[in-house]
Amino acid sequence: MTHLSMETLLGLRESGVEPGEAAAREHLECCAGCRAELERLHQRVARLKALPALRPARDRWPRVAERVRAERRQRRLRAGGLVGLAAAASIALAVALGGPARPAGAAGEQEIQLQMARSQALESALNQYHPDERVLDGRTAGIAEALEDRIARVDRELEMAELEEQQTRDQQLLKLWRERVGLLDALVDVHVTRASNVGL
Amino acid sequence: MDLYTVADAESVVARARSGDEGALEELYRAFEIPVYNLARRICRTTEDAEDVLQETFFEVCRSIGRYREEGSLWGWVRTIAASKALMRLRRNKYRETDELRDEVTGHRREDTALRMDLEAALERLSETSRAVVWLHDVEGYTHEEIAGMMGKTPSFSKSQLARAHHRLRRWLGEEVEI
Ligand SMILES: [Zn+2]
Repeated sequence: MTHLSMETLLGLRESGVEPGEAAAREHLECCAGCRAELERLHQRVARLKALPALRPARDRWPRVAERVRAERRQRRLRAGGLVGLAAAASIALAVALGGPARPAGAAGEQEIQLQMARSQALESALNQYHPDERVLDGRTAGIAEALEDRIARVDRELEMAELEEQQTRDQQLLKLWRERVGLLDALVDVHVTRASNVGL
Repeated sequence: MDLYTVADAESVVARARSGDEGALEELYRAFEIPVYNLARRICRTTEDAEDVLQETFFEVCRSIGRYREEGSLWGWVRTIAASKALMRLRRNKYRETDELRDEVTGHRREDTALRMDLEAALERLSETSRAVVWLHDVEGYTHEEIAGMMGKTPSFSKSQLARAHHRLRRWLGEEVEI
C-alpha cells in the first residue's frame, strides 16, 4: 500500500478540490497511519500559529516619522519653488501691463516671494547638511523635533491658506512664510551649533 | 480572521490621510508587533526585521491615501509588510546557501536523533521554505497569493510548503514507523 505524500496531505487542507482528492480520502478512510500523519500536520500548524509574537527591541517610529517629515520638507520645497515662479511670473505680467493694479497686493506678493526664497535657501542648506543621518543627543533631538513639528503644522496651514480668497490669502501666506523662515532658521541653528560643539 | 484592529479605524485613517502625524503613529502602534513578528519570522536577523518594520510603515504613511477600505486595514498593512520582507530576502539571496550546507550534514544530524523545538526548527529552514510556511500556515495566504508576491508559480509554493513540513516533521522528532 502506498501512503499519501506530504503534498497530498497538505492538499487535503486546501478549500478547493485538488486532483486525486477523492482517491486520497478513500485511502485515508482505511489507513490509520495516514490519518495519524494528517493529525500531526494539523497539530504542527496549530503549534506554529500559537508561537508567541516576537517584539522589536527598538522603537522604530521616530525614524519613520523623521523620514516622513523629510519627505514633506522636500515636497514643500518643490511646491514652494513652483509657487515662487508663478508669483514672479504674475509680477512680471503686472509690470508689462503698465503697473500693478493692486499696489499693496503686489508688494505683499513680493514679500511672500522673498520669504519663500529664504525658506528655500535655508531648506537646501539644511538638506546639504544631512540632518537625518546625524545622531543628536536627547535634548537637541527634542528641540529639533519640536521645531520640525511646528514647521509641519505651518505647512498644513499654508496648504489651507492657499485655498482662501485672494485678500485674506496673501496676508495669511505672508505671516506663515515668515513663521516658517523663523522656524527653519532656528532648526539650522540647532543642527549647526550642536555640530560645531562636537567639532564635526 | 482579524486579530489586529484599530479602535475607530475610519477616523484614524481619515486623519492619517490629511497628514496628521499623531494618527500615523496610532497606526504604527496598532500594527507594530504583528508587522515585526511577520518580518522576523521571514528574515534571518533582528536588524533585517526592524528595517522591514521601518520600511513597511514608511510605505504605509506614504500611501495611506491609496488605501481603499475594501479589505481590512490589517490585511492591507500585512501585505505591504510581507512584500517588504520578501524583497529583503531576494536582496540577501546569498544566504540561501545555508540550506545546501544543511543537506550535506543532514544525515549525521539525523543519526544523532537531535530533537529540536519548534522555534529552532523554523529557524533552520531555508529562507524561502520558512517564508512560505509562515505566509501560508500562519498568515493564511493562499498558494496563488504567495506565488504572486514571490514572483513564482503556485506549484513552487506548494512544493516549498511540502518540503518545509517534511523537514519540520523530521527535526521535531515526529517521525514514526507507519
Ligand atoms: Zn496510508
